Amino acid sequence: MPDGFILTFVKAFVLANLVMGVFAFLTWLERRLLGRFQVRLGPNRVGPFGLLQPIADLVKLIRKESILPEGISPVLYIAAPALSLFASLAVFAVIPFGEEATIPGTDWKIFLFISNPSVALLVVFALGSISFYGFLVGGWSSSSKYSLYGSMRAVSQLISYEVSLALAVIGVVMMAQSLSLTGIAEAQDRDGLWYIIPQFLGFVVYVVASTAEVSRIPFDLPEAEGELVAGYHTEYGGMRFAMFQNAEYVALIAFSAVASILFFGGYEGPWLPGPLWMLIKMTFFILIAMWVRATLPRIRYDKLMSIGWKVLLPAATLNLLVTSAIVAWRA
Amino acid sequence: MTYDIVFVVASALAIISALGVILSGNPFHSALALIGNLVALAALYLLLQSDFLAAAQVIVYAGAVMIMFLFVIAYLGGRATEPVRARPWWQTLAALAAAVAVVVEVGFAIEEQAFGDGASVSEAFGAPQAIAASFLGRYVLTFEATSVLLLIAAVGGVTLAAHRPAPREEGAVSAFEIERPAPEVSLQAEVVDALTRFDVVRAGQVRDEDGET
Repeated sequence: MPDGFILTFVKAFVLANLVMGVFAFLTWLERRLLGRFQVRLGPNRVGPFGLLQPIADLVKLIRKESILPEGISPVLYIAAPALSLFASLAVFAVIPFGEEATIPGTDWKIFLFISNPSVALLVVFALGSISFYGFLVGGWSSSSKYSLYGSMRAVSQLISYEVSLALAVIGVVMMAQSLSLTGIAEAQDRDGLWYIIPQFLGFVVYVVASTAEVSRIPFDLPEAEGELVAGYHTEYGGMRFAMFQNAEYVALIAFSAVASILFFGGYEGPWLPGPLWMLIKMTFFILIAMWVRATLPRIRYDKLMSIGWKVLLPAATLNLLVTSAIVAWRA
Repeated sequence: MTYDIVFVVASALAIISALGVILSGNPFHSALALIGNLVALAALYLLLQSDFLAAAQVIVYAGAVMIMFLFVIAYLGGRATEPVRARPWWQTLAALAAAVAVVVEVGFAIEEQAFGDGASVSEAFGAPQAIAASFLGRYVLTFEATSVLLLIAAVGGVTLAAHRPAPREEGAVSAFEIERPAPEVSLQAEVVDALTRFDVVRAGQVRDEDGET
């Protein structure tokens, strides 16, 4: 085995566990913040400030009986949440948190990313389209009407918004002349300009479409409690249910990381080290998502579709046309 | 060494999932196996230094195209318990003939190409720039013609599936235009008729001497 294999494995292990830890902390933060937004306290009993609440939740979920409902396809039913979680977590394999860094106290130099392919952005989208299958397969294998409706909604929503998302991102790719995430971050450092300024329309489309891609309020139609019980994970309980929720959260973290790199310069920034800048920028996006969740109601399904196809798609196309004209003119 | 391991695993997955596509009785399982096959092929593309092609394979084929397949099957297809339908004999025969033809052709291709030296390619091979240059430069006409073809197919699909309202007949009345008595009035009349043993006298009715209306 090459030396790089072990190092990559260690990096992947550390990062995956970090993301999971951040996920646990975020569930606490979101519930506390939602409480504040809604003029109540939120969870504050378990540990100081309720900080141990995620652990209490985890223990509760693990101790639940693992139920296999009647009439399901067992293999697919068990595999679906794992597939979703895998696809969301795997995105972090291509997300750079910095350039080369020296480990303090030694002269070891490591790269602050697991891998840096030249088509990293495409890999992110490829993993995104794999994660759809978790929702579809989970809903189908449950043999339940509500689950199937939920997954149908999830899939049509994700397909509709993925188009706008991809088109919004191409503007950034054209300006940076690169599909690699480190390349895009460095291009912003080189131009001395965060791409949120020239690509503001693209940024707006990206934020709206990515909220829909991670099925958060106001786009959480796939699991609309009022109509569909819980959507595609109606028949899931215990840790399997938690894995679906986990996958959505991890996808939110991943989309925030990609947004920080595409529009906010990623790990490039003055004074502070790269990973810290990434963390600050990602926190900004995650807090926006929580704020939106506390503010907006769920929108109606036909409105969701018409926003996707009649507002976001034309806006993204316009952004693309103008950007390509400017890039071609300057070249 | 690492490449060999990846090659063996990806090829084995490709073969197993390909068998799954044709041997599974349930269309949903077949489609899932096909996705596995496409992803395994993408891993093989990665070994051939075609990062862009691998990512595009997963996005377009394993992602966009197959999700439509699964979507339709989940909506319309049967459940896991549905029995496999018998096929006509000529279909089996034709399938066998096609399979033999493919095997023979692949055999010739392998014999000619595979045991020589590996092709030497430059660093830029398979990069997005190289693919863009061939799509939008040398083969631009073919590329654009293909997209027009796809557009025609999409428009055709929409036209075929478009819901045409039935032509309206002369003097037909829409359901909204029919005036019905208010529901509580007719309900009350029925209930009163059904539950009383006494005569029901409605306004406007005249009772004659014998008590009959």
